[in-house]
Amino acid sequence: MGIVDARHLSKWYGQVIGLNDVTLAVPPGITGLLGPNGAGKSTFMKLMTGQLKPSQGDITVFGEPIWGNPALYFRIGFCPEQDAFYERMTGLEWVTALVRLNGVGEAEANRLARRALELVELTSVGDKKIGAYSKGMRQRVKMAQALVHDPELIVLDEPLSGMDPIVRRKTIRMIKEWGRQGKSIVVSSHILHEIEAMTANILLISQGRILAEGDVHQIRELIDEHPHTVHIRAERTRALAREFLAYDDVLSLKFEDDAVVVETGRPDIFYARLTELAASGALGVIHEVTSPDDNLQAVFQYLVKS
Amino acid sequence: MWSSALRIFDLSLGQMLWSRRSVFLGLVAGGPVVLAVTLRLAEISGVLFTGNRPGPSGGIIYGMIIWLIYVRFLVPVLGVFYGTSLIADEIEDRTLTYLFTRPIQRAAVIVGKYLAYLVCTVLLLLPSVVIVFFLVVPLGEGGSIARLFPTLLTDLGMLVLGLAAYGALFAFVGARLKRPLLVGLLFALGWEPIALLAPGYLKRLTVAYYLQALVMHDMPQEGLRGALLQAFREVPPLSTSLIGLAVIVGVGLWLAGRTVERREYVLEQ
Repeated sequence: MGIVDARHLSKWYGQVIGLNDVTLAVPPGITGLLGPNGAGKSTFMKLMTGQLKPSQGDITVFGEPIWGNPALYFRIGFCPEQDAFYERMTGLEWVTALVRLNGVGEAEANRLARRALELVELTSVGDKKIGAYSKGMRQRVKMAQALVHDPELIVLDEPLSGMDPIVRRKTIRMIKEWGRQGKSIVVSSHILHEIEAMTANILLISQGRILAEGDVHQIRELIDEHPHTVHIRAERTRALAREFLAYDDVLSLKFEDDAVVVETGRPDIFYARLTELAASGALGVIHEVTSPDDNLQAVFQYLVKS
Repeated sequence: MWSSALRIFDLSLGQMLWSRRSVFLGLVAGGPVVLAVTLRLAEISGVLFTGNRPGPSGGIIYGMIIWLIYVRFLVPVLGVFYGTSLIADEIEDRTLTYLFTRPIQRAAVIVGKYLAYLVCTVLLLLPSVVIVFFLVVPLGEGGSIARLFPTLLTDLGMLVLGLAAYGALFAFVGARLKRPLLVGLLFALGWEPIALLAPGYLKRLTVAYYLQALVMHDMPQEGLRGALLQAFREVPPLSTSLIGLAVIVGVGLWLAGRTVERREYVLEQ
């Protein structure tokens, strides 16, 4: 039995299938849920966190059904994908207010919230309004509310989305550390390299079905055969582009508004270099790095055909 | 359940008080104050109550404002706009997830938000009534603030009950339906006035029917205006009225809580 067990789990939204007859067990430790947008990752996570009710089959967390079972939320922390907050609250107020819903008193809630903000390295901006946070800070304050009550299972839906390379690296390190501390973590992404940096254990999901479970490395070999597109929003896009042209793995470049879009044949090497570049600050600030899921979609199509 | 609801209340009240909705509805609730100031200025400048025939006393005008503006318009409108948004706002802002993944009953979310609604609307509406009272009652002849002051207190209590009843009803509508605001407005501004005019039992399916028994003001008896007011003013006994309002609050909140417990809310990504 896993931390999360699904048996013939299906979810329909009217005529649309969100998840189709999924049977799996999520083991303790860090598990990556990998799939393109619309694959069913968020649906699975919402079912796993009791926000949706299965249309068919069942899902249990720690051996208990999660739907209509609020007591389980003492043991679960959820960081949703959506960039949604009570914008007028400060990070500290928000995390404090949410952990108070766990039945914690005001003073203790404040202490726990400060500790959670410290864990995600937001202590210095805890008293600022969330509306004034950068994208990376917003992602991290969401993570703070997920772990503030020290849950055994943390569910993170696309937690690295929109982060700059340095914050991304820090966050990956953080998630791995929580895993080492004995927490079970389910983390979703449509970028294999992100998942790979956190865990070798993945669930590959596409069109509402689990395509593969297990070791990430075989999948990685497949994905590396496909060109990978990276969208980089930065202060000095032209200087970055000049730098990228010197890289052997860069196949093409183009500009889009305040971003440069790079196609690379070796995403692992490219991401490593990009992180170093961002850390050095030599070519200005890199605001955001995103990767459209077309990369993964191509691999999935290949997998589905084979 | 109640301790969780109070924590949701804490979380929601500030959000609700400083929302754009409160600014807008605060302006709407300020409408009668503007009217009262205008009447007062008109009296001071000698425009009001001129000629041989004496006009209605300030007490009567105040009663009409309470009746026509507060009871029949502002209270239902505040109930509709806030009540239907208790859950809908969290869905629209996609923040419901944070409340529904905490170890509290979902019903506590709606109860806590309902309590925040009640405090917020009381703070918006009641000061306006008090100002109108002090501005309008001294108008004309025979308006005595001291004599009518107990009426003000009754009015404030009646309006709080009205807000409670409409809020509970529309909290359920908001939790249950996809377009709650439209349905709420149709009910408050369409169904209620029609049902109140219709003979028979239909009027019992309105909140206003039970609320109007608590309006203690004398109404003008002459003319079309008086006839219309009387037609609207068929009232049940006080005890029936109070029981009716209590039932609306209880059943409305229970249904809202039950709906929220059972319903899936799919947030758009």
